[in-house]
This record gives sequence, structure tokens and C-alpha cells, in this order.
Amino acid sequence: MTTPLLQVSDLHVEFDTYGGTVKAVRGVDFSIEAGRTLAIVGESGCGKSVTVQAMMGLIPMPPGRITRGEARLRGENILGVSSLGGREVRGAEIGMIFQDPMSSLNPTMSIGDQIAEPLIVHRGYSQAQARARAVALLDMVRIPEASRRARQYPFEFSGGMLQRAMIAMAISCKPTLLIADEPTTALDVTIQAQILDLLRDLQNETGMALILITHDLGVVARMADEVAVMYAGRIVEYGSVEDVFYRSSHPYTVGLKAAMPSNDPERQHELRPIEGSPPDLFSPPVGCAYAARCPHSMQICRQQPAGLFGVGEAHLARCWLQHPASPHRPAGLTLGGHGHE
Amino acid sequence: MWQYTLKRIFQGIITIWFIATATFVAMHSVPGDPLSSERATTPAIRANLEERYGLNKPILEQYVLYIGSFLKGDFGISFTQRNRQVNDIIREHFPVSATLGILAVTFAALGGVLFGALTALYRNRLPDTIIMFLVILGISVPSFVFAALGQLLLVNINNLLGFSLLPVAGWGTVGHMLIPALVLGMSTMAYVTRLMRSSMLEIIHSDYIRTAKAKGLPAARIFTRHELRNAILPVVTVLGPAIATITTGGFVVELVFAIPGLGRFFVQAVQQLDYTVIMGTTVFYGAFLVTMVILVDLLYGWIDPRVRVQ
Amino acid sequence: MSNVMNRELQPQDFAPALALEDAHGLMRPSRSYWQDAWWRLRRNRRALLSLWIVLGLLAFALLGPALWRVDPARQDIDQISQAPGADRSAIIVAPYQPWNGLAMADAPMQTGVLGLGDAPSSQAVRVLWDALPGASGYRLYRNNYPIDEEGAFGLPIVDVMASGGGHYEDRLNLRPGTYYYTLVALDEFGGLTQRFETLTVEVPRVITVEEVRQRALVPDNQELAPGDTVYLAFHPLGTDYLGRDVLARLMSGARVSLFIGIVAPLLYVLLGVVYGSAAGFVGGRLDQVMMRFADFVVALPFLLFMILFQVVFGLGPGQSGIIPMMVALVLLQWPATARLVRGQILQIRQEAYISASRLLGARTWYLVLRHMIPNTLGVVLVTLTFAVPNAIFTEAFLSFIGMGVAPPTASWGSMSNEGLATMLTHPHELMFPAIFISLTVLAFNLLGDGLRDALDVRMRSLE
Repeated sequence: MTTPLLQVSDLHVEFDTYGGTVKAVRGVDFSIEAGRTLAIVGESGCGKSVTVQAMMGLIPMPPGRITRGEARLRGENILGVSSLGGREVRGAEIGMIFQDPMSSLNPTMSIGDQIAEPLIVHRGYSQAQARARAVALLDMVRIPEASRRARQYPFEFSGGMLQRAMIAMAISCKPTLLIADEPTTALDVTIQAQILDLLRDLQNETGMALILITHDLGVVARMADEVAVMYAGRIVEYGSVEDVFYRSSHPYTVGLKAAMPSNDPERQHELRPIEGSPPDLFSPPVGCAYAARCPHSMQICRQQPAGLFGVGEAHLARCWLQHPASPHRPAGLTLGGHGHE
Repeated sequence: MWQYTLKRIFQGIITIWFIATATFVAMHSVPGDPLSSERATTPAIRANLEERYGLNKPILEQYVLYIGSFLKGDFGISFTQRNRQVNDIIREHFPVSATLGILAVTFAALGGVLFGALTALYRNRLPDTIIMFLVILGISVPSFVFAALGQLLLVNINNLLGFSLLPVAGWGTVGHMLIPALVLGMSTMAYVTRLMRSSMLEIIHSDYIRTAKAKGLPAARIFTRHELRNAILPVVTVLGPAIATITTGGFVVELVFAIPGLGRFFVQAVQQLDYTVIMGTTVFYGAFLVTMVILVDLLYGWIDPRVRVQ
Repeated sequence: MSNVMNRELQPQDFAPALALEDAHGLMRPSRSYWQDAWWRLRRNRRALLSLWIVLGLLAFALLGPALWRVDPARQDIDQISQAPGADRSAIIVAPYQPWNGLAMADAPMQTGVLGLGDAPSSQAVRVLWDALPGASGYRLYRNNYPIDEEGAFGLPIVDVMASGGGHYEDRLNLRPGTYYYTLVALDEFGGLTQRFETLTVEVPRVITVEEVRQRALVPDNQELAPGDTVYLAFHPLGTDYLGRDVLARLMSGARVSLFIGIVAPLLYVLLGVVYGSAAGFVGGRLDQVMMRFADFVVALPFLLFMILFQVVFGLGPGQSGIIPMMVALVLLQWPATARLVRGQILQIRQEAYISASRLLGARTWYLVLRHMIPNTLGVVLVTLTFAVPNAIFTEAFLSFIGMGVAPPTASWGSMSNEGLATMLTHPHELMFPAIFISLTVLAFNLLGDGLRDALDVRMRSLE
């Protein structure tokens, strides 16, 4: 087995707050190969953004801290490290774009200058070279009149345009991995599609890997090769997009799918929310974090946290139902509880 | 930007007119009249004085004359110091107050930005704790106490050294200006430090600083290019009002350090009920402050592209 | 992977769990906005401490005079500008007798040329001198400080144009302590020569029996004889330049300063709230006009107009201007609150929950009571807290330049003003009122900070 491009293992992140210590990420493992797309899915507060931000060294410390785990880029540790063999990790090896492009760009610096900055810092470009390259990058992300636009400020751009500019900035140093943290959440639906197309095209052109963080299963289906479903600071299901969508093996994934609007006329009226709310991460439950909301929950679920059990080839689920000794194992999961069996 | 500038200037002119009118109304609602004191001894002298100061005319005409002479830049003649033009008094003493004020504002702005940025960078560590303790003192201690303490300290230092390091009172050289300006700028500096600190802290946690970090920029570059420039913006907006506070706060410092500024004259004029000097100085100060606020606004527009471009 | 199995699983482990009894029970109990704010405020030690200081200051002003029953206007002429903790003992002596210029039998020995007629006391210091060779006359100086090389002799108290020996009785404003008397020989034209002699005199405080009785320092039935020691009235924080009790004046000054400092902000914040919410509610053209007017008032140079108003109210120096000062504060300070409240109201009006409430049929008064007022209360409370130090500073500033509260009424500002003159010799007269001003301002500022954090109010302009 070759070394993956990025391998994250057993990552734990905590935050100290007024109310106590929040265990935001509680042991996350995943890996991604070059040129592939991994989607990390989950509802707000499940720890998906914290995971990648901790990896990139972007969480403020204190109050945050990484208590355990590691992240390796081509086998080399990047946690707490700023450069690998003279090449900067952040901005050069790994590019990143964020959810809200409006607030993620410096309001008092021109777009062109902001795109040019990594080139000047990491590549030693001159001011003029970097500016010219910034215009080319803007052109590449399909912003019309790029040279005029480069001189403008963020408040003169629309949300979609800003996200394009963010992408231009993130790919300016030709990173091997691009992390997109909810890149389309703040945008109109039509713009969302354009941004996703752009990302896909850029990925094809440059061969970079993409980690896509989202809560939108539609985006996942459209973009991802692999999917990691996160709940309460842990990955609860991991597998190829087909496995996770068509052979969902964790009740939470099933619940997520049911809560998603669909075009299927038969399912139009079946938009079902997941009852209850995620557990308090100040003091996570002893057993499975989803047990309290899970229609299938069993005695063991309340007593012990589930491990990741293999469901199929490269398909894992953190659910007691998938335990080798579980009587429910071969049966496919349905929305309902025990009554349906 | 031009339109914005013109609009601000127009607003400023209206504001100055409002100040002049408010002053006029205030002074003409003084019970009794300006000549009721011992100065007008006989009806003849009284009539003469009324004629000279235009007090025998109807109030509306007086108002028109008053505004008219202000437009010509003429503030009239002093009531108590006969034959002395208010303009002369202003011309003589205002530069002193203005020098003191500008020096104090400079101290306050530079010191405040520097200390504020420091406290934000060293948040919850020793430099932050020390500076914020001093800031709380600076905000809580009245300026006259600073002035008195400053003078007391200076006296003691001079005694200790056996020669005069800096003059204790008076005006004329740079040495005369340093301590009064520092004392005068103290509370504003504390205020600016606090503002700068909270503004820096807000920006340090903002999304675009996270972006800058994700871009892998060195900390120094993030600080100068991204944090400082944005954090200074709110500081610039309070500089206008700060100039007003500092210039009028200068009265106390001028009293304590025996500085021949306009503030001391104003207090004197009020104590002697010298009406023309009171009105002239108030309107002049008002106009000065309005001008400074407009200049600061324009400066803000120049720094902040969101204002500049629109 | 990371979870190690620590026991064999049994079939009953896979039995269905009981019903969803705790799906919602996992959430923490919810608290109301004000409960939450109070909880946060209590965890802020600085804010809590300042709350106690504020309460302490209020008690000092309101209850203090009941406990410390000294008239703040009474002058203790025996103890002028006494620092706290100064010696209060006084020796009883016979009433003052005129002096004939001769040395008494029990007088201390003369030292060199200069000597004393009898035991010095705060009643009189009687100086004798012999002729200095070549002197046509003499000038006698008195100083509070030792004579140094620069030869500053202090206050000249008498010129005597006679070449022989002479005497002088000094009764000028004597206080207990050390005095340095210097005799300088004068030439025939009355000019100073280089020839001088200095005498150091310790002056003890004395008092006559009659004075003791007058001031009721001891019970009426107590026997008193010369040589006995009595103690003068107690002034815990010393006295000022007129011999008035500093503690009593601080207490009565606290009433004035805190009255202006708290009532004036209450009034102008209230005016601001009414004006601002009216403008915010009415909206449209009237709102524009109202806010323009507020802008103009803001542009008035504040302290200048405060002074101007004192003049308008016909107050020359020397008149106490508590009410005019309050009126002036209210007239000039309301716009800041008005702007803030208007902004809040406009913002709240935009909120979706207002539309929702309206859609559900809520009437205007209900919206005001249920949504507008609770949501602006936090901002208003914080504004009010920050307005207090502002008003206290203004009072102090005006009183300090002699345009505010004037003697004999005490306020912390006017006390500071009076203390400034004696700052170099008796710093406590300036320091005590200054400390009280600073403490009050500090407490209200910290309390305001705490409230702002606790109520989570974002207001840049007041930071």
C-alpha cells in the first residue's frame, strides 16, 4: 500500500470555554489520495470544520488545543509544522477556502493584492509579477475583466465572485490539496453550481486532491469520491460515495438522507427531521453519541462506544448494529425503529 | 470622494452656523444685560456703550449683524479689555492652545495605537496586564490630578537633579510643552489603547485573518498588512471627538501649568462676564472643532476604501 | 479502531434499548436572558468588586454623615491643613501675656547672638538678639525649611533699624513644628549684608484652659492646670486649609458629586431613550429632521457650552450651580443615547421575529413592551453605567476651574480645586477628593464593562 497524500489519524481537539471543556473532535481518522475528492458531511457543530482547521493550525490556541493524533502529508507530520522541505504547508502545499467569502477577505486590501500575496511570500515573485499572475488567476476562475477587477476591493464584488477570488487565491501556489470548508453554503443555488463546476474543472486541470466539507448531501453526491459522515466529533460512517449513499450502514446516515429534500415525486412528502438534538460535547455520553436519537438503539449502545466495524470493502460504520455478533447485521437499515423489523 | 468631501464641508458650515446661533441665543437669554454691572455708571455712559456694542438694536438685527460680522471673521471688541479686538486675543493665544492640543493628540494617537496593539498581541500576559492596569488608571483619574501630579513630579525631579530638567510652568520652548501635552493626552491615550485593543482582538479572530493564516503568511506580515490597518480604522473615527475633548480639556492643563492659551482666557472671560470674548471664543472653538472632525472624516475616507470608492 | 473491546458481548446487549427517554434530556437547562446575564456578571470578579465599591460609595454618601457627625463647614482653627494622623496633643498654658522684651528667668540659654525670651509655643515665639558688629539694623526672617547654601531665609517678618541688640515677638500664624529664624545684619542704607545668624526653634502646640472649655475638648467637670496635655478634635483624614474636617467634607461632597453623577445621567439617558425611540418609531422625514438636530447638538463643544450655561443661569463665580449643571448636562448629553436607541429600534424593527409577531396579529404596544423595550434595555443600562463617570468628570472639571459647585458647598471637584493651591505642602487636601473621584469613575467603568460583556451588548462608541 502506498502512502496516501494526506493521512489523519486519531485526531482529538478540545476547547476551553466558560462552561467547561468542549471535546469537539474525539478521534478522527481519514486519508485521501492525490487527485481524489473526500467529502466530510455532518450537521453544524459535529466537528467537521474543526478537524480541518486543526490540521491547518487555524484554531486559536488557547482556548483550543490538539490533545492527540497526527496528520501526515506524504508521510510527513504537518501538525505544528509550518514548512516541509522548504515548501510552506499552508498556502503552498495546501490551499483552503472558507464558507463566508464576504468576511473571509480583507476589506481594506484590493482583491489582486490579496491573491498576489502568497506568490510574493512563498514563490518570491516581484510585486509586478505577482499582480500579473493574480490577474491571470482571476481569469482562470472565470472572472470577467480580470485586470480591472483585480484593482477592486471585496465590497465591490458579489458573493459568488468573492468565492471565485478566494479559489484563485487558494490555488495560486498550485497546492496538491485544496480544502473547501462549506464553499457554497453562503451562496445562491445557481452560483453554488457554478462554483462546484469550477472546483471540479480546476481539479481536473491541476490534479489536486479536494477535501470538501459540507452539510449538503446534494453537493456530496455531485462531487465526492469518498465520504466521511461525522457526528458529535467522530466519523460514524466512511466509504465510497456509492457505499455511503446506497448501502448506508449507520442510522445517522439514514436519518440524514431522509431529512434531505428530494426530487423523487414519491418521497416529496417524506421530509423527516431527526428527532432530538446532538449531545452536549461538554460531557459526551458514555456509549454511542447517537444512541439517544437512534431508532435502533440497543442496550449496548448506552453502555459502550461503538468501534468502526467493516461493512464492506473500504466501507466502515461506527455502529453496534454492524458488530460481527449483532443479530441485525445482514439486514439493510431502514428509517424506522425496531417495530419495522 | 469629491461628492463626499463637498457634502461634509456643507454639513460643517451648517453645524458652525448652528453653534453660532446657539451661542447667540444662550448669551442673549442671560438674565439682566451685559452692562448691568458697575461698568455703566451713568445713563450717558450706558447709552454710549449700548451704541458701541449695538445692544440698543432689535434682537433680530443684532443677530443679523452678529452673523454678518462672523462671516467677515470679525468677533468684535472685548468688553473688559477696552480697545482690544477679540480677533487679537484669539490670534495671540489660540496658537498656544492648538500647539498643545496637536501635540497631545499626537501623543494619544501614537501611544494608544502602539500600546493597544501590544496588549492585543500579548493578551492575558504580563505586558497586557500592566498596560491595561495603567489604562484603567488613565481613564479613571481626572486630568487635573494628572496635571497636578505631573507638576509635582517635575518639581521633585528638578530638586533631585539640582537643575531644571524641564520647566515647571510657563510657555515658550519645547521643554515647556512636553509634560503638559503628555498630561493632556493621557486619558485619550488610555481610551485609544482600549479601543485599539478591542478592535485588534476582534480582527485577530476575524475570518480574513484566518484566511491570511491559511495562506501561510508570516505573522509579521499578517500583523502589518492585515491586522494593523483594519484595527486602526475605528481609532481614526474617534480622533475627531478626541480632538474636541483634548482642546477643551486643555483649560485645566493651561490653568495648572500657567500656559497662556485661549482656554485660560476663556475661563477668565467667563469669570469677568466678557460677553464678546465668550461668544467669539465659543464660536471660534466650535468652528475649529468642526473643521477638525471633517478633516478626520476625510482622512478616514482616504484610509478606508469602502468610503473612498463610493 | 480506537475502541478496545473489553468484554464479550452477550445477546441481551443487542436487545432494543428502552424508549427515547432522554433524547431531549441531554440538553442543558435553559436560562432567560437576564438570568444568563446575571450569571455572567457574577463570574466577572472585577465587575462584582466594582458593584460592591459602588454600593460602598453610596453608603458613604448616604449613611456616612449619620455616623460621622461633624459639620463639614465647621472650621477648626487650631488644626489647619493637618495631614491625617498628625499629632493632636496640646499643652495647657496660661493665657497670653504681653511681653516686655526681657528674658525670663527660666528662659533657655541664648545661643551665640540669637536667643529666645522664654519657652516658644504656638502662642508666641519671642526672639532676642545681641548687637552684631558693624550692623546698622536687622531683618528677621522665618522659614519652614532649613537654611541651605543658596540662603533662602524665608518670610521676612520684621526690620529693626537700630544698631544695638533687640527683640521681636512672633505671633504670626504659628503652627506646631520646626521654624528657622534668621537674623540678617543691615547696612546703614537698609541693605542686606552677608552677616547672619540662624536659630532653630521647636514650637509645641499650646492651648489655654479657656480655649479648651470653649471647644469642649474635655468634659466640663475635668480639672485642668497648665502643663497638662489635652487632645484636639479628631480628624481621621485631616483638615483642609480652613481647618474643616476632610472626611466630613468628602461625605457631603459625595452627596453632591454622586447626585450629579447619577441623577443627571438618569435624566438625559431617559430623554435620549424617549427622543431616540420616537424618532426610530415615526421614521421617515421627521426621523431625519430629529436626527439632524441631534447631530447639531452633538457638534456643540461640550465643555464650552457647559460653562456658557453656567453663565446663562446667571451664575457668577461663587454661586453653587448644582441644578444649572444638571440642566446643562441633560440639554447637551442626550443625543448619544438618542442615536443609540434609535439605531437599536430601527434594527429591531427589521428583525424577522418582529414581522413574525406582527403576522401573528401583535399590536404595536405589544411589540414595544414585549420586544423593543427588553431588547434595548441592555444597551440603555450599559450606556447609563458609562454615563455616570462622564458626569462625575464633568462636575469635577467645572468645579475645578471654578465654574461648577462653588464654596462653601463641597463637591469632590471643588475640594480638588481648593487642594491644588496647597498641593506642594499638604498634598492630602488634593489627594483624598482625587482618589474618591478616581475610585468612583473606576468602579462605574469596570461595572459598565462587566455589564456590557454580561449583556453581550456591542457598542464600539462607548468602549
